Amino acid sequence: MTDWNAISDVEFRKEVRQFFEAEYPEELRHLPHRPKFAEIEHWHRKLHAKGWVAPAWPAEFGGMGLNAAKLLIFYEEQQRWGVNRGRDMGVQMVGPLIIKFGTQEQKDYWLPRILSCEDIWCQGYSEPGAGSDLANLRTRAEIDGDDFVINGQKIWTTMAHDATHIFMLVRTDPDAPKKQQGISFLLAPMNQPGVDVRTITTLSGETEFCEVFFDNARTPRENLVGELNKGWTMAKALLSFERIFIGSPSLAQNALGQLESFARGRGAFDDPVFRDRFAQAALDVEDHAALYARFADQLKRGETLGADVSMLKIWVTECFQRITELMIEAAGPDGGSIGPLQVGNVSVDVLSSFYKARPTTIYGGSNEIQRNILSKAVLGLPG
Amino acid sequence: MTQTDILSSEQEDLRLLRESARTLFERAGGSDRARQLRDAGSGFDPEMVRELAEAGVFGVAVPEDQGGLGMGLAAGGVIAEEVGRVIAPEPVVLTIGLSLGLLRRLCPDHPKMAQLIGGEISLAVAWQERGPDGAPADATCRYADGKLTGGKAWVVGAIGSHGFLVVAEQDDGPVLVLAEADAQGLVIDKRTQADGSSLGELSFSGTPAVELARGGAVPTALAEAVADATALAAAELVGLSERAFEITLDYIKTREQFDKPIGSFQVIQHRAVELNVMCEVAQAGVREALAQMDSETDPKVRAPIASRAKARAVTAAKRITRDAIQLHGAVGYTDEFDIGLYLNRALVLSAWLGDDAYHRRIWFEAREAEGAAQ
Repeated sequence: MTDWNAISDVEFRKEVRQFFEAEYPEELRHLPHRPKFAEIEHWHRKLHAKGWVAPAWPAEFGGMGLNAAKLLIFYEEQQRWGVNRGRDMGVQMVGPLIIKFGTQEQKDYWLPRILSCEDIWCQGYSEPGAGSDLANLRTRAEIDGDDFVINGQKIWTTMAHDATHIFMLVRTDPDAPKKQQGISFLLAPMNQPGVDVRTITTLSGETEFCEVFFDNARTPRENLVGELNKGWTMAKALLSFERIFIGSPSLAQNALGQLESFARGRGAFDDPVFRDRFAQAALDVEDHAALYARFADQLKRGETLGADVSMLKIWVTECFQRITELMIEAAGPDGGSIGPLQVGNVSVDVLSSFYKARPTTIYGGSNEIQRNILSKAVLGLPG
Repeated sequence: MTQTDILSSEQEDLRLLRESARTLFERAGGSDRARQLRDAGSGFDPEMVRELAEAGVFGVAVPEDQGGLGMGLAAGGVIAEEVGRVIAPEPVVLTIGLSLGLLRRLCPDHPKMAQLIGGEISLAVAWQERGPDGAPADATCRYADGKLTGGKAWVVGAIGSHGFLVVAEQDDGPVLVLAEADAQGLVIDKRTQADGSSLGELSFSGTPAVELARGGAVPTALAEAVADATALAAAELVGLSERAFEITLDYIKTREQFDKPIGSFQVIQHRAVELNVMCEVAQAGVREALAQMDSETDPKVRAPIASRAKARAVTAAKRITRDAIQLHGAVGYTDEFDIGLYLNRALVLSAWLGDDAYHRRIWFEAREAEGAAQ
């Protein structure tokens, strides 16, 4: 087994880059939509054979065992080559959860199935009444013999219609004094009569989000991960790396590159007002990258990130939105048209970028919630 | 030593430098000193200049073989940030960036170098000229037979300096000369700026001056020195913004209305977060820019990096100091509260060497030119 952390960052980057460039299927580069598993299965098989499905997992569980510095390089290269993350909820969320809090039986059973994508996971957190106020969730799980019986509804469940399993936060003690208490972490199979999935059509006409209804759905008691009623703390513990990942510069950088070639082709840079607004956006991206590097260095030194890392997400998502809005302006009378526009030798889908940017300020803790966190945890403001 | 070790030892040097500069300024009275000097109308404090020199401040970016510390612009930026935090009126960025920036590139053996590094004197740099419409114009100030004729505008540090480094034209091209502050035929028209400092408009009529350097090297060195000073002014604005934000944060935590600290209201909290994020982005961007300038030698590459830094710092400082006034409410509009000193200093530093709109334009033009060249 290779000890990736023992080789230099430069060597490692080279090796990752070479693999992606040589092996990643051309037709899957920079996919504009979230693929179903069948669409990317051939790529997943290659990745699995290479042993690179789970870069962050310890090697003993079949991961690459990368430290934070190597992990950032891996993701940077992934984004650089437009490599799709695949159906990675299992790898990103369920695996780390089981590794950290699961029993030996759970590890032995679930982890290999996550790596092989025999099981494909979706995340059941949000509910109609529990968005930003996630702890308000109401989906109930009650013990009945050897099973939990689940009743309630999840929403915004990404790709639930293409998932075999769901990992979910459920209420197991409705009488707990605080709503953060009485929440548990449960794994459940999707393919059963009590589970009903309906897709939600988004503004852009896509159907990657779903509603999932539970009507006396069942899951065995051994599918409880960690202690009963301790799910909230566990869910929070999972977020530490995700918080820098969600604030990475790549989305805005890619959009800026697109905007530049599009605007160049359309002659938008002849307009001094547009030039200045473009320059503002470009500098916003560049200076964000400097701040991102500061946090990444912290990780590389082995320090844990504080709550202040939230500012990356706020800045980059809002910047991403401004860039896609400029793209619409540059499109002029084409600004309301769906589908790719050919400009010179580049093809740009103006509205698809715009739509893609909208939910970034809503998901992963809306930017308003991030501001609440920063004001209390970082600035120490009262109330 | 590995590369990481070298990197962290550099970081450690900068940390120590920051600490000693901060202690020095705090001991001298922090921002109260700026208010006292402004009220006294005395410009800056020559004694403080000497103390700063003893701490090695002015020679920080001058190479060691020229009598400096050789720590680069990154170290200059650390000092500039500390100057900004206490809005110190001493000509620190002016000296590190412009005066020494010019001399060390054009005449590193000149005795004025050592005097500047030693804090014995300060020299202002007169390089811009005002056209008939009041806007910056091409240079027409002449130097012939050891005498200057014409005028220079927007001279920072004109009051209190011992002399002027003047960029002028002579028959066979540009020249850098030194005119003493009390030279014959030199008239200084003083304009007071928002922070109480003075901007000089100089006019020369047969004013005696000594030639220091001539030829194409002069405009090249000037452009380099201006880029250095621009990036250092950005760092000064970063320090200023940081401190203005801290003052404001303290204020909203203690000021009560409706029986609560106003900082408990979400609208205030979110505005505070905006300013905090802006401040952190500016700090990261400007520090990165200074480090990049240290590792780059091509002036064509360094200049737009300086523009990036100034554009960011001005954008942040304008927003932070203006919102700081709003968050202070009515008292923010009084001279009694320190926050106004920060707003006023930000106005002056923003206008000096180009504001955010100007530098965005310069930065973007350079980016386009680079793109076209590739």
